[in-house]
Amino acid sequence: MSTPMIEVRHLKKYFDTPKGTLHAVDDVTFKIGKGKTMGVVGESGCGKSTLGRTMIHLLESTDGQILMNGEDITRVDKKQLHEINEKMQIVFQDPYSSLNPRQTVEEIIREPLTLSRRYKSRAEIDEKTEDLMHLVGIDERLRHAYPHELDGGRRQRVGIARALSLNPEFIVCDEPVSALDVSIQAQVLNLLQDLQEKQGLTYMFVTHDLSVVRHISDDICVMYLGQLVETSPAKELFIRPLHPYTKALLSAIPSTDIHHPHERIHLKGEITSPIDPKPGCRFAARCPYACDACHQPQQLTELTPNHFVSCCRAAELNGL
Amino acid sequence: MENKEMLLSVRDLTVEYTSEDEVVHAVNHVSFDLARGSTIGLVGETGAGKTSIARAILRILPEPPARVPSGEIIFEGKNLLTLREEEMQKIRGKEISMIFQDPMTALNPIMRVGEQIAEVVRLHEHCSKAEGTKKAKEMLEMVGIPGERYYEYPHQFSGGMKQRVVIAMALACNPTLLLADEPTTALDVTIQAQVLDMIRDLRQKLGTSMIMITHDLGIVAEVCDTVAVIYAGEVVEYGTKEQIFDNPLFPYTIGLFGSLPDLTSDVERLSPIEGLPPDPSDLPRGCAFHPRCPHACEACEKAHLPLADVGGGHLCRCNRLDAIAAEGKKKEARA
Repeated sequence: MSTPMIEVRHLKKYFDTPKGTLHAVDDVTFKIGKGKTMGVVGESGCGKSTLGRTMIHLLESTDGQILMNGEDITRVDKKQLHEINEKMQIVFQDPYSSLNPRQTVEEIIREPLTLSRRYKSRAEIDEKTEDLMHLVGIDERLRHAYPHELDGGRRQRVGIARALSLNPEFIVCDEPVSALDVSIQAQVLNLLQDLQEKQGLTYMFVTHDLSVVRHISDDICVMYLGQLVETSPAKELFIRPLHPYTKALLSAIPSTDIHHPHERIHLKGEITSPIDPKPGCRFAARCPYACDACHQPQQLTELTPNHFVSCCRAAELNGL
Repeated sequence: MENKEMLLSVRDLTVEYTSEDEVVHAVNHVSFDLARGSTIGLVGETGAGKTSIARAILRILPEPPARVPSGEIIFEGKNLLTLREEEMQKIRGKEISMIFQDPMTALNPIMRVGEQIAEVVRLHEHCSKAEGTKKAKEMLEMVGIPGERYYEYPHQFSGGMKQRVVIAMALACNPTLLLADEPTTALDVTIQAQVLDMIRDLRQKLGTSMIMITHDLGIVAEVCDTVAVIYAGEVVEYGTKEQIFDNPLFPYTIGLFGSLPDLTSDVERLSPIEGLPPDPSDLPRGCAFHPRCPHACEACEKAHLPLADVGGGHLCRCNRLDAIAAEGKKKEARA
């Protein structure tokens, strides 16, 4: 296999809180190939956004490695950070709060271009700004509009244009469509797919919406309370989920198929606290199959080709 | 239209919001019926007027700027719109109650959660303080929260638990009609599944009728009997769940289904509805959907059609149905 575009090894991100250490991302390992999309799913508080932000150095990692094109970029100085930032960008969840309300559309998109010092003349920057607006489908006439004058879908397009402005290779899309209505959501998803095709972008797509993630991803990581519980090619995951949490998660999605109601797996209880967690599987408290061995640390194991799962009973429960 | 079996009949309901220089037509001549014990889903996007309909039924629209210039809401034989406020207060929270969308803002942050439930009970059941407290604890347990947590404050609860408190509050007086306004939108899927199951169980146990407001077609498929698709403040398609899901006719409904990524089949690209929902202060002439409709013709720009029965009570407001059906057949033949 060729060198993956981006790779994380045993990545950890802990936060100190008055109550103890919060394990937001705990020992996460995966790779994303060039031009591919990795979907990261999980419920609120599972650390999926923290993972994305840590990977692009918006947050400093506690432990572990981040590699880009085979090069270790975990610890970098200011100058290197500047270079990395140009290659890795992020599209935020909430287009209402991630755009400066006092800047016009044009100013928002232009800012990274000016800061990069890549362009010499104002004319070049103007031209590039125009190209970007065209690329993401924002009308020329909106260049002097302020974010509050735009609807959610257009605001998200501005956020995407800003992320694309320095021709990055890798973009973290942090719930980019969850604040949008269904019909608008589909427009933005199509745009992201078109851009990936045109520019060979690599995405990490963080979302809680499983149908979106299946649609857009090549591979999927399922996270639970900071840990990676399962990772596999997207279709495989939906056909044959192996981890009990993934199964419950998939069965919880309301289906639009009214003639074949599916069996739902009922999870008892609420998510336990990620502060100073006990070793072992963090899902054990809610898992219908939990046994003593589950309270020991779990290994991410490749059960079928490219399908990894972190559950000591997965093989036995799935008859593998 | 008097119908004995109908618990609620909404007729020709219109809601407008007025500001200095414009009138926002939020709800335009909406009519639907709800049979006792059944659930209707109001489906549509942000700003389609779904919440305004629910608020009009409960008469909690902010007036002004809101105004209800026309319509009737017949609930158990009474027109709610002409009741005096004192009479309405007796119905609100007792016979009709509402689950609000956002559990974070629907609860009073400086009042113990149990007290918030007991308040409703004491007000409507005219019982003693102790009885109210007892009933509130029972309600908490019914929604799966230990009774001891009566004395805690909302910030000590997770989002899912807060939503369950809101539901407990809405169900405390065994309402005949429950208005659920996006009750699970703020929740995670596994918690959403718990809440939906709970609503369904309680509905079976107590025989409550429900109006489910949602933009999620999956939720509609799981809990509703009939569906009204709302676009620009109008019902554009209306029918049983089977009629709408098996045979969606109105182009907007078809578009909604096309916009949804499917969990079981592979589509390379989604087929979104082009354009944006119309500005309710400046609705297009003719069919409100025609600027975004792939099948629109000249007639659509002029004629504003009434809902027509296309068979078996399946209502639709479109004059291109024949053309769309013919096109569908052609596509099938090609495939």
